[in-house]
Amino acid sequence: MSIFTQILFLLRKEIMLEMRQRYAISGILLYVLSTVFIVYISFQNISPQVWNVLFWVIMLFASVNAVMKSFVQESGYRQLYYFQLLHPVAILLSKMIYNALLLLLLGGLTFVALGFVAGNPVQEAAYFALALFLGSTGFSITFTFVSAIASKADNSSTLMAILSFPVVIPILLLLVNLSAHSIGLLGNTDIGDKIMLLGAVDLILVAMGLVLFPFLWRD
Amino acid sequence: MKKYWWKILGVLILLYTFLVGLLTPLKTGISDASPLSLHTGRSETITVTGYNSFFTKEKEKLRAWLKMNNDKALAAKRIEVVDDRVAKLTFDIPTYLPTETKIVDLTLLIDSPTDGASVLPAGLVVTQDSVNLALGDALWPNTPISDLHEKSSMTFPFRNILGETIRNTYYHVPLWMAMFIILTGGAIFSIVYLVSSNPDADRKAMALSNVGLLLGILGIITGAIWARYTWGKFWSWDVKQNMTAIALLIYGAYFVLRGSFEDPEKKARVSAVFNIFAYASLVPLLYIIPKLTDSLHPGAGGNIAFGSQDLDNTMRMVFYPAIIGWTLLGLWIGQIILRTARLKDKLMDA
Repeated sequence: MSIFTQILFLLRKEIMLEMRQRYAISGILLYVLSTVFIVYISFQNISPQVWNVLFWVIMLFASVNAVMKSFVQESGYRQLYYFQLLHPVAILLSKMIYNALLLLLLGGLTFVALGFVAGNPVQEAAYFALALFLGSTGFSITFTFVSAIASKADNSSTLMAILSFPVVIPILLLLVNLSAHSIGLLGNTDIGDKIMLLGAVDLILVAMGLVLFPFLWRD
Repeated sequence: MKKYWWKILGVLILLYTFLVGLLTPLKTGISDASPLSLHTGRSETITVTGYNSFFTKEKEKLRAWLKMNNDKALAAKRIEVVDDRVAKLTFDIPTYLPTETKIVDLTLLIDSPTDGASVLPAGLVVTQDSVNLALGDALWPNTPISDLHEKSSMTFPFRNILGETIRNTYYHVPLWMAMFIILTGGAIFSIVYLVSSNPDADRKAMALSNVGLLLGILGIITGAIWARYTWGKFWSWDVKQNMTAIALLIYGAYFVLRGSFEDPEKKARVSAVFNIFAYASLVPLLYIIPKLTDSLHPGAGGNIAFGSQDLDNTMRMVFYPAIIGWTLLGLWIGQIILRTARLKDKLMDA
């Protein structure tokens, strides 16, 4: 099979597994709803700036939780089976795409929940949608790669957070900036540069992940 | 002696850097001038405080100008020298300026045979109530600047905001460059490990990354000290400061990762992968992102960096050896860490 067909096959497999058990989706749903509820109770009135930051903080932590299970839940025997059949790049890319879709869904959910509870300050929907798209791909790439590293270690959950947070901070800064533009908080100065920067960061991370993953996979 | 000549060389270079870097005086400059804002049609007296200046020597030969551009300059009508550091310059500013704008920035230039020429670039603002280019051109008594004295001696340049802190160029910048060189070595050894599975390569990568992290922390601290005296506070949430902190956090995470593995081969393989990832993120974080956004830091967002404006030949004499000196010191520390690690591993296996 070519790499492309492998990726599609793995993607279908992940989605099918998820549909059967709905393990990850229900976990995420619960996480988002409870966080938004707590936020609603604590803040009586949310200004657009606070809304912006809260949205991305909730997205960040929900993403970490969602992606954490990505590599950890694979058992040892199945991993050996995969190793013999499939190209490592296919495995990594399929997981990244699956997680990106998951996070996109998560982002939409958070948006709806937070909007329901605290109003919708988004004025330019296109920019916000772009931020959501670039953000979920960026988070997915980072967290999937770090999850692959952390799954080899003994104390994986805390390790994932420690390894991923420094890398995710620049992405987060750019995302908060971009969505602040869409809410109308900042002027429209050189936003094209920031969008390209975000895209470039995503590409660099993917490239690095693809190059380095085969070495991890050999274990 | 043959085995540790480079250590002695490193120490000697650093001693040279400290001595020459801290003892060489700065060239004469203008540290203060008041008032900074002038108006047309008046005779304004500016009190100028010089830095390392000797105004009283040959005070008749002291000349001063307000420079608009390379062709137009206004000479001082009268210069009164109060003492070595303070002089009062009187300028007759014409009623109209030969410009299209109401507000113009002028450069103050003082020249003397003992001190050479000193500049306060774009420091004085002249306001005119109305613009009249033709009258301005006619009224401007142009005395072009000529015959500036050049002093050639061992001094460091005087930059108006930096002042004496320019000496930090021998600590802050070479520390970062040494860090970059050493982390490059660390990444190379990580690649060597992935290719050859030689455990010594992994130890070398660990030792070099350790030293790199240390040099980076020192670099940030020297940078913060420099920022305190030039930008006002230790930490200004400037882009470059943030990005360097993130880069160092990633290297810190490398060591956390190493600590969480028991099996040495697994530890070496996974940490080698992460080390390459951390190194590859250095270039975008430290260089590319600050250049794209506005930053106070020299070399970003349009500020001049290591061009002819920031380093002249006297500084270069100490700067390039300083980089070598800090790198050699870093390598010495790294070598000690490496040997300790080797001994530890030997004890564990025995």
